[in-house]
Formats: sequence, structure tokens, C-alpha cells
Amino acid sequence: MRASSRRLGLATKRVVYAMLGVGVLGVAGFMIFQALNTSLVYFILPNEYAREPSQFENRRIRLGGLVAPESVAFNDQSLQLTFLVTDGIQSYPVEHVGAPPELFRENAGVVIEGSFDAGVFVSDNLLIKHSEVYEAPEDGHIDIEELRRSLQ
Amino acid sequence: MLSLGVLGSAALTLALALAVYAAVAGAVGTIRRDARLQTSARLSAIAVFLAATTAIIVMQAALLTDDFTVKYVAEHSRIESPTWVKVVTLWAALEGSVLLWAWLLTAYAAVLAVTAPNTILRPWALVVMQVVAIFFLSVVTFAANPFIVLANPPLDGPGANPLLQNHWMMAVHPVLMYLGFVGLTVPFAFAMAALITRRPGTEWMRLTRRWTLLGWGFLTAAIISGGWWSYEVLGWGGYWAWDPVENVSIMPWFTATAFLHSIQVQERRRMLKAWNLLLIVLTFSLTLLGTFLIRSGVVSSVHAFGDGPVGPFFLTFFAIVSVISIGLVVWRWDQVRDRADLDAVVSREGAFIGVNVLFLAMAFAVLLGTVFPIFVEATSGARVTVGAPFFDAITLPVWMLVLLLMGVGPLLPWRRAETQTLRSNLLVMTAALVLFVVVALAFGMRRPYPLLTVGLAGWNLASVGLLLAGAIVPRARITGRSLGEVFTRYAFEQKRRVGSMVVHLGVIVIAIGIAGAGGYRVDQQLRLDYGERVAFQGYELQALRPFAEQSAGRASVGVEVAVWQGDRQVTVLTPRINRFGTNQMTVPTPSVRYTIGHDLYLALAGAVDPTQDFVIIRAVQSPLVTWIWIGGAIIALGTAYALTPGDRPLRRRVTADVPAGAEA
Repeated sequence: MRASSRRLGLATKRVVYAMLGVGVLGVAGFMIFQALNTSLVYFILPNEYAREPSQFENRRIRLGGLVAPESVAFNDQSLQLTFLVTDGIQSYPVEHVGAPPELFRENAGVVIEGSFDAGVFVSDNLLIKHSEVYEAPEDGHIDIEELRRSLQ
Repeated sequence: MLSLGVLGSAALTLALALAVYAAVAGAVGTIRRDARLQTSARLSAIAVFLAATTAIIVMQAALLTDDFTVKYVAEHSRIESPTWVKVVTLWAALEGSVLLWAWLLTAYAAVLAVTAPNTILRPWALVVMQVVAIFFLSVVTFAANPFIVLANPPLDGPGANPLLQNHWMMAVHPVLMYLGFVGLTVPFAFAMAALITRRPGTEWMRLTRRWTLLGWGFLTAAIISGGWWSYEVLGWGGYWAWDPVENVSIMPWFTATAFLHSIQVQERRRMLKAWNLLLIVLTFSLTLLGTFLIRSGVVSSVHAFGDGPVGPFFLTFFAIVSVISIGLVVWRWDQVRDRADLDAVVSREGAFIGVNVLFLAMAFAVLLGTVFPIFVEATSGARVTVGAPFFDAITLPVWMLVLLLMGVGPLLPWRRAETQTLRSNLLVMTAALVLFVVVALAFGMRRPYPLLTVGLAGWNLASVGLLLAGAIVPRARITGRSLGEVFTRYAFEQKRRVGSMVVHLGVIVIAIGIAGAGGYRVDQQLRLDYGERVAFQGYELQALRPFAEQSAGRASVGVEVAVWQGDRQVTVLTPRINRFGTNQMTVPTPSVRYTIGHDLYLALAGAVDPTQDFVIIRAVQSPLVTWIWIGGAIIALGTAYALTPGDRPLRRRVTADVPAGAEA
């Protein structure tokens, strides 16, 4: 009698532990999923942003494109770099605090990280993509798919 | 025509054939109980190693003699590179690093064949080692052969990846990484042998204890030296960016660390048999999965050196290893099932199990964050990356719990803790925690994680103090010897235990470094007009003059910056941009002033234009960051000390009232 009740106690204990375990795992899983969702950084091109700007409101994104010709300005006092990033369909002005990196030039492929503020992309990270795959076009025609591949 | 390429391929093929023979002869010899066949298999393990060594020597000869008929040399080497770069080019790209990995594996297998004690596990463990060697040798022979002979060899090559040539640490870090991975293959092989022979007891882990510790030590050293390489080379003043390449190295480290702790529970309490087997399987297969992830290009990384055709091979081998080893555990379930149960949660084993869960949770979260972009792209087509904030948000709180348990665990006795001692110990540790937090607050620290880390450092220091006091004071009292004498004797006789205390101390030191560098980094771009002093964080920076330098295969352009503190010029830093050979890629190379309080880190933010009268630099001040590297050295020392031979169990001299920590 005592033995069986003790066994029952052990069984109940195990059930409680198992339920606690499942509960903890569930909460942890939910928190991980939430954290993942909020820290996902999308990689998009300017025309993709133009299609659905609201989707990327106040979100950190990585914007890829080419540095538009004759759009680059650098203030060497405030160290503010401004240029237009383009994918041939859509262009957006970019504000970046910091010197232009060594290989930064017109028609260079860039990936900038930051977020949009009233139509201006405010970047805090500027990467130059010097890919052998994609050569910037002379005639102004840009193949979107090729551009996307070369920037990733 | 006998060229180096042909010779290398022949050596590889021979090594592969011998490895196949060693595996088959070993398996057949064991099943048939044929001692001669088993001996033959053991001797061929040495032959495999010699053949693989020949391949390595041939590759080094090709690199050093600039033999561009060999494909690998043509693609990754360059005549004007300095000799050390040519030597390390062996592991500067994919094919060569798989060759190195395979060679180290055959070396460990040969050492095991000679030195492993003759037990029932040995033959099968050697077979498993050879099977793994067969995999690596096949990859390097068939999928990524560096010895392919070029019909039209170029006159010169492009040289190794500039980022790798830029720092001597690249001579060390990859080798440490492979030594770690290969070292952890040994306990995996013995675990498989234990399952095959139906002996999932403690024998396999006793036999491989040193190998496990050695592999773990190398892996730890590899990760920390990799962090220092990033710090010295990548130019953003950080050491860890949660890049996929970094993530796949930390995942097996998490599981290996969990394994290192949980095997002690099995040795002491005969619990966690299946858990330990699964952990070592997980550790080994995570190294394969990681190699697949970064080599196949399925996850994008800023520094995955050398994509190649080996991805599918690693994925397949990962699947095979996982299915077979988990299948074996299930098949042998009756033997691996635990019969003992946890007596009390508050006990040494309870703490070890707790820390295991924490390490596994971090491994899982990091894996999830690393592969999540693949799922998103597969389901929605969107290209995403998981940012560092995710990894920080998940791992930081877990690390705090790890540090908490690290202080409590070693003080708890096995089975069940005595409440009285525990309570007084916890009181002392909490007092230390509060004291450290108060001091940190007085120094102006306000951010929660750094504050908590400092507090937990106090908690852990008190714990180590209590452990040592508990071990030494009673002995000194009973034997009448001085405390110093007893301590020396204790340190000499209890190498594993004292080694583990030193390693834990190293972990605390690293935690302090991360708290400072992570929480209080100042990162700023500054315009420096030549000759003028610009204030930065208590310093004054003065750009003196631009310079240009040429050395073997390398051209540098940089700026000399004088660093002033008040009226004293403390140093001249020379941030520069390096260019290697004909490679287009430029490598901004920072210049660092290391001090124990903080580092001053300068990097060129843009090009150096000789026509301009100013230069723009990125200045970073990281408090306490040096302690990360010092802590790494402490961990290496502690591991080495625990590995030195001559550890023998202490005869129990204290009879009455054994305090916590006195028993080993």
C-alpha cells in the first residue's frame, strides 16, 4: 500500500516535471521566435522598397544598389556623405555619417544598413561590393536579377 | 612525367586505399576475433598517416618552389609572397584546409593506434577514426583535390586571400581549430565503439578524458585567437560579430563544454549515459554541419574563405553520422537507460545538469539564428540576415545564469547538499557580489549586464576562495604544516581540480573584458588636420604625416598619428591600408595601443589622399578588452595544467567533517 502510493507520488512528480519542462520550453520557444522576428534584417533593392514602403517602416534593412553617377557629395567638416542609391528603376537619397570607404566611387555596388526616415535612407554601415560577377553598365541599363545576385 | 601534382595525388590515393584497408581489416578482424588482422589494421593506421604526411610535404614543396603546375598553388600562391605566407597558404583556402584536417585526423588515429590501451573498445574506436579519415581523404581526393595538374600553368598566381595574409595569427588560428575538431573526434570514436560493443559505461570516457580536454582546449584557444584576429584585422574595433563563420565554431564549443561537465556526472553517479553519448555525437556532427553551412554558401558570411564543391559531401556525411549514431543509441537503449535517479536538485550533479541545459539552449539558439535565413528564403523568397541583437538578447541572460551556476556548482557536494554549509557559503558569495556591484556603481557603471557581470565575478572569486580554503585549511590544521606548503602539495596532487579552477578564473576574466568592451565602447570618426591635435576620450590625436611602404608582396599606405596624454606623447600609431600583389582588394589595417585599462584603436576611414591636408580616421576606445585575450591565456594555462601527467587521487587524510571542496 505504502509502496504503491509512493510510486504514485513519483509518477505525479514526473508528470509535474514534464509539464513544467514543456511549459518552460514553450515560453522559451515563443521568446526566441519573437526575438528572431524583431531582429530580422531584410535585404532589398530600392524598387522593392518603393512597392511597399509601409512594410519597412521603422525597420532596420539592408539596401542594395549602385551609387548613382554625379550624386555623391561629402562634407569634410561634418563628415556627412550623401549620394543616391539606384537599381535603375528607383533611386533614394542616402545619408551616411563617415568618410567614403577606399573603393567607394560612382557606379560601385553598395550595401547600406540602416532605416528610412521620411524618404531618406539613414545609414550607419556602408559596404562596398566589388564583385567580379557584375560590371556596372555604361549605357545605363541594369539587369535587376544580376544586380541582386552580385550584391548578396 | 612525375610532377609534384602527380606525386601528391598518388600519395592521397594511397592514403585513402590504406585507410579503407585499415577500416575493413579492423572491423573484420574484430568480428572474427583475428588478432593478426587487428594488428595489421593498427599498423596500417601508421601507414595512412605516413602517406598523408607525404601529401602534405609535397604540397609544401609545391608552395615553396612556386610550382604553378599544381592547381592549388596556381590559384592561391604568389612568387613574391614571404615564405611564412607560402607555408600557411596550405590552409588559406578550401582544398588545402580539408587536406590539413584529413592529415591531422590520420595523425591522431596513428597516435591512438600506438598508445591507446588494449581494451575491447580499441579496435572499434580505431575503425571509426579510419571511417572519418576515409571521408576526409575522399573529399580531398575526389571533390576538392588541390593536386590537379594544370596543362597551361600561369607564370604567377594571385596569392592568398589578402585578409589572411594580413596577420600572422592566420598561421595559428585555423590549425588550432582543426586540432580542436579532430581532438573531439576521439571521444566520438570511442563513444561509437562503446555502443557497438554494448559497453556504454564510463570506460569510453575514462579512456578519452585527456583527448576530450585537449580537443576542448584547442577549440577554445582557436575561438579566442580568431576573435583577436578579427580585432586586429577587420578594422571595426570589435572581435565578435555573430557572423555565420563564428557561429559554427561556437556551436560545437557549447556542446563540448556541456559534455566536459556532464561526463563527470556519469563517472560519479552513473547517470546521463544516453545524454553523454548524444552530446558527443552532437558535437562531432555540428562540426560537419558547420563546415557544410559555410562552405556551400547557403548562408552568407563576410569572411567565409573559399566556397567550393564540398558542401553536399559534408551534408551527406552529417546525415549519415547523425542517423547511424542516434540509431545506435536507440538500438542499445536497454544498456544506455539510466537506472540511477537524481536525489536532489541542489547537488553537484544538479548544477552540472543545469549548466548542460543552458549550454545546449545556447547552441540551439545560435543554430536557429544561423539557419533561419535559409528557411525564410525558402518560404517567402526574401533575403534576410539575423542581426547581432538577436544573438545578444538570447545568449547574454543565459551566460549570466552560467556564471551564477559556475560559482555554486563546484561548492556543492555530490548527491545532496548540506543546507548549513551551503547557506554560509552562499552568504559569503552574495556579500562579494554586492560588494563588487557597489564598487562598480561607484566607478560610474550603470548598465545592467556589465554591472551584473562584475557582481558575478565577485561571486565566483569568493567561490574559488571558499573552495581553496575548504581544501587547504583543514589539511593544514591536521598535518600542522604551513598553508603555503599544503597549497603547493594540493596543487601538485589535484591537477585536474586546480586546473579547472584556473579555467573558471579565466572565464571570469574574459567576462569582465566582454562587459567592458561590449558595454562601454566609444566609436567615432574624426577629421585630423595634419599637425593639429584633436581630443578623443582623454587623449589628443595628432596626424603627423602620410607614409607609403613596400615589402615583399605588400604595399601599404598610411598615416602616422601621434597620441598625446596631456603634454606627454605616449605613442605613435600607424593605421594603414594594405594591398597584396595585384589583388584589387584593400585591407584597412588598424593600429592599436594596448593597455590593461582600455585599448585605443585607430583605423583609416577612407583613402589617404596626398593632396588633402587632412585625414579621416575611425577611433575606437574599448575598455578592458585586453582582458579577453589574457583570460584566453589563463584558460589555456589551466587546461594545460589539468592535462599534465601525474594527477593522482588524493588519499583522504581528513576523516571528520569533510568540508565542501575537500574531496576530489
